[in-house]
Amino acid sequence: MNRASYTTRDETGMGRKPRDRASMASDRMIPGLRNSGMMLLSAIVLGSVTATPGHAQAGGPPARGAPQATARMAPLPTFRADAWGLPDEPQLGFVEISGGPFLMGSDPRLDPESFENEHWPGDGTMGTVDLPTYYISRYEVTIGQFRAFVEATGRTVDPQALLAPDSYPVIFVSWPDAVAYTRWLEGEMKKSATTPPALREMLNTGWRVTLPTEAEWEKAARGTDGRIFPWGDEEIAGPANIAGRSLTPVGYFDCSAVCANGLEDMSGNVWEWTRTPFSGTGYGGVTTAPDLEADALWVMRGGSYADALNLNRVAVRGGADPGARRGFIGFRLAITRD
Amino acid sequence: MTSTRQHGVQPPERGKATRAPRNAPPSTPRSSGWVIVFPLIAAVLLFAISLSDRARGAGTVALSLQGAAVAVVALSLALLVWLRKTGVTRTIEFTGARKQHYIQAMVQLSIFLYWGWYWQLTNGTRPVYLMAPLILAQLAFAYAIDALVSLWRREKYVFGFGPFPIIFSINLFLWFRDDWFYLQFVMIAVGVLGKEFIRWEREGRKVHIFNPSAFALGLFSLILVLTSSTGMTWGPEIASTLRLAPRIYLYLFLGGLVVMYFFRITLLTMTAAATLFGLGAAYYAITGVPYFLDTEIPTAVFLGLHLLITDPSTSPRTPPGKIVFGVLYGASVFGLYTILGSFGAPTFYDKLLAVPLLNLSVRWIDRMVAGIPVTSIWKKLGLDALEHRANLMHMSVWIAFFAGMTLLGKTDGRHTGDSLPFWGEACSNELPNACKRLLLLETTYCTDNSGWACNEVGRHYTEGRITAMNEDRAFGYYSRACELRYQAGCLNLLDPGSVTEANPRAFDLRLLLREGGLNLLDMPEPQLYTRACEHGWAFACNRVAGAL
Repeated sequence: MNRASYTTRDETGMGRKPRDRASMASDRMIPGLRNSGMMLLSAIVLGSVTATPGHAQAGGPPARGAPQATARMAPLPTFRADAWGLPDEPQLGFVEISGGPFLMGSDPRLDPESFENEHWPGDGTMGTVDLPTYYISRYEVTIGQFRAFVEATGRTVDPQALLAPDSYPVIFVSWPDAVAYTRWLEGEMKKSATTPPALREMLNTGWRVTLPTEAEWEKAARGTDGRIFPWGDEEIAGPANIAGRSLTPVGYFDCSAVCANGLEDMSGNVWEWTRTPFSGTGYGGVTTAPDLEADALWVMRGGSYADALNLNRVAVRGGADPGARRGFIGFRLAITRD
Repeated sequence: MTSTRQHGVQPPERGKATRAPRNAPPSTPRSSGWVIVFPLIAAVLLFAISLSDRARGAGTVALSLQGAAVAVVALSLALLVWLRKTGVTRTIEFTGARKQHYIQAMVQLSIFLYWGWYWQLTNGTRPVYLMAPLILAQLAFAYAIDALVSLWRREKYVFGFGPFPIIFSINLFLWFRDDWFYLQFVMIAVGVLGKEFIRWEREGRKVHIFNPSAFALGLFSLILVLTSSTGMTWGPEIASTLRLAPRIYLYLFLGGLVVMYFFRITLLTMTAAATLFGLGAAYYAITGVPYFLDTEIPTAVFLGLHLLITDPSTSPRTPPGKIVFGVLYGASVFGLYTILGSFGAPTFYDKLLAVPLLNLSVRWIDRMVAGIPVTSIWKKLGLDALEHRANLMHMSVWIAFFAGMTLLGKTDGRHTGDSLPFWGEACSNELPNACKRLLLLETTYCTDNSGWACNEVGRHYTEGRITAMNEDRAFGYYSRACELRYQAGCLNLLDPGSVTEANPRAFDLRLLLREGGLNLLDMPEPQLYTRACEHGWAFACNRVAGAL
C-alpha cells in the first residue's frame, strides 16, 4: 500500500482548515503504540504502508516467499449473492463461541515475544476473562459483502476499498465504516427471510451484529487453552497469510482443522477493527471507560500479511486512529447480546 | 478632464456626421483602425497571464483567460472590419485620471493589501495575493470590453481609470472558484454592458442606471441563489476572512473617510450604518440575541456601505435623497439576511442583492424628497445642499457615531455572538432563532473539522429537541466526529440508544474560539483555556482555576 492511498482530508477551506490531516493521521498509529512500548510494532505496522500493494496478485496464489504456510487443500469458501455476500453456510458463516472463561493476555515467561501491553496489570502475566456466548464470523468481511452495503446505502467510501475481487478482505475502511456496515447488516438480517430463522430470532430479541470486543476476538482466536497462535504455541507460520507480499482471498489458507474454533485468517491477511477503545496499558479483564477528552484510538487485532510472525500472535494489541483507512486494516463480525 | 491628448484621426466636430463620404480617400479608415491595438494589447496581456503559474495551476483558469483573450481578439477584428467597411472614424482619448476613480481605486487597493496580508493559509500562501494576476487579467478584460463597446457606439473611447473601481469592487466581494472562473469574465462583461446600454435620463443627462459592479454582483448573486449554485464562488469565504485583519472596522472606517471627504457620501454611509445598528439593537432588545450571528454589522456589509452603494452617478444627489437611500439599503440588508436564511441560502448575498433595486429607485427617491420643504433646521443640519462644509459636519457626526459604536464594543473586538456557550444557553432559554443559530454554528465548526461540534450536531439529530429527529443524519455526524478522533462520537456510533457528550478538546477549542477566523493553532494551552473561559466555557474556567 502506498502512502498516496492513505486517507487524507486536504486543505480546501481557504484558511478554514487549520491543519494538515494527512500528516496528523500518519502520526496517529504511533501514540497508542508508543504508550504501550511497542515501537517495534508501530514501526512494522507503518512500514507495511509502503509494502507491495495488497492487490497486486489479486485472484492468484500467494507470492513466492510467502510464509511456510499450508496452501489450502479444501475448496475456497463460497458466498451467497442472495444473502449480502455472506458465506454459504447454514449460519451464514457465524460460528458460536460458547460462554465461559478463557486465558487472555501474555505471560512473558511462556511467550518471550510478547509486548508489554499484553501483560495484565498486577503480576504482569495472563488473566481469566469470562464471556457469555457469542458468535463470530469465520472469515474477514469481504469486498463482496462490503460492496453490497455500499450499493444499498450509497455510503461514500474510499474507492480503493472496492478495487479487488469480491473474495478478498475489504481494506481501506475506517472504524466508522466498519460500524456502519454492521449496523446496516443487522437491519437487513432482522427483516429478511434469507436470514436463518434462528439467527433472525436472535437479532429480534436483543442480539446485535457488531464488531467483536478485543476479548471476544482473542477468545475466538485462541480458544480456552491460552495458545499463542490460532494453531497452537509453535513459533512457525501456520496456515495463515503472514510475512508475505500481498493479500489473499479470505480463507485461502485452510486453517479449519487446526485453528481454534475453525476460524480463518485470525492471524495475518489484515488487521481487524474491534469495538474496544485502545489504552496503552494491558487489558486487565475489564474495559474501562475511555478518556473522552483524549484523541480516540481503537484496538485492532490479528496482524497482517505484511507483518512478521511475532506480530501475528493472538495476544498482540494494535491501536489505530478510527479515521485511518489503510491497505492492511479490515474487520470481521460478531453477534452478541446487549 | 484636465488635459486631452489625441492620437490618430482628429475627432469630428461636434454635431457633424462621423460617417466618411463614399468617395473619401482611403487614409481615413486606415488611420482609424489603429484603435484596435488597445484591446489587442489587453488580449496579449490576458494570454500572458494565462501562462503564469497561478493560471496554469488550475487548467480551467488558464482556459478562461485564453477564452477571454480570444473573445477580445475576435471582437477587435470585427470592429476593424466594420471600420474599414463603413469608413467610420474612431479614436481614443487619453485623459487625466478622474478623482472619483483613482481615489476609490486606491482605497480599494489598500484594503486588498491589508486584508490579503492577514488571510494566510496554513501552508503560508495568501489567497488574495495569489489572486493578483487574475485581478490584473480582469482589469485588462474590462478595459478591452469597455473600449470595444465604446468604439462600436461612439466616435471615441475615453481612456481613464474607470475600470479600476469596477474590478476592485467586484473582487472585494465575489470570486468564482477556479473551475468556473470564466464566469468572472462574464460578470465583468455584464457590468460593462449594463453601464453602456441600461441608461436613463436624469437631471437632463443620459446616465447609466446601475452601478456597474453592483449590477453585475447583484444579478449574479440572484442567479446563484435561485439556482442553488452559491458554492461556485468564494463569496462567503471572502466575507468571513475580512475579519482576519486586525481592527478591520477601523481600517475600513478610515479608508471610508477619504472617500467621504472627496465625494460627500457621508450621509449615505452613515444612515445605512445607523439603520443597521438601530435595527440590530432593537432586535437584541426584543429577543435577547444578536441579529447578525457574531457581529453588529457584518464586515462585508460595512465595506459595502463605503464602497458599493456610494457611486455618485447611481445614487441620489440631494442630502435627503442620500438619507433615504442609506436607510433603504440598511433596511434591505437587514431584511434580506432573514429572507435568505429562511430559504437556506447563504446570507452572504444580503449586501449584494438590493443595490440594483435601489439604483432603480433613485429617480423615485429624487422625486419624493423634492417635495420636502427646506426648513431652517434642515439648513442648520446641512441637509439643504451638499456643500463641503456641510459634508465636514456630517463626517464629524459619523466619526462620533463610529467612536460610540467602538466604545460599546460593536465594531472590532469580541462580540456576544462569538461565544458558543452563549448560543447554547440562549437555545436552552428558547430565545428566538437561538437554536437554529446554534445548530448552524456547530454544523459550520463540524465542517471545519471540530469533532466536538460534529458530535453535538449528531446529538441534536438524535434527541430531536432543536431540530427534527433524524437517525441517519445523527449517525453521519457521529461518524465524522469519530473519524476526527472525538471519542464520544465513536461511542455514540456503537450505542445510538444513549448519547455520550464531552467537553471540547484543545484542538476543538482552537477552532471554536477563532472569532471569525484567527489562527489559534499555535496558541499555548494555558492561554487557550483562558480564552475559552472568557468565551463562557465553564469547564475551561475550572481548568484555569485549577492551574493557579
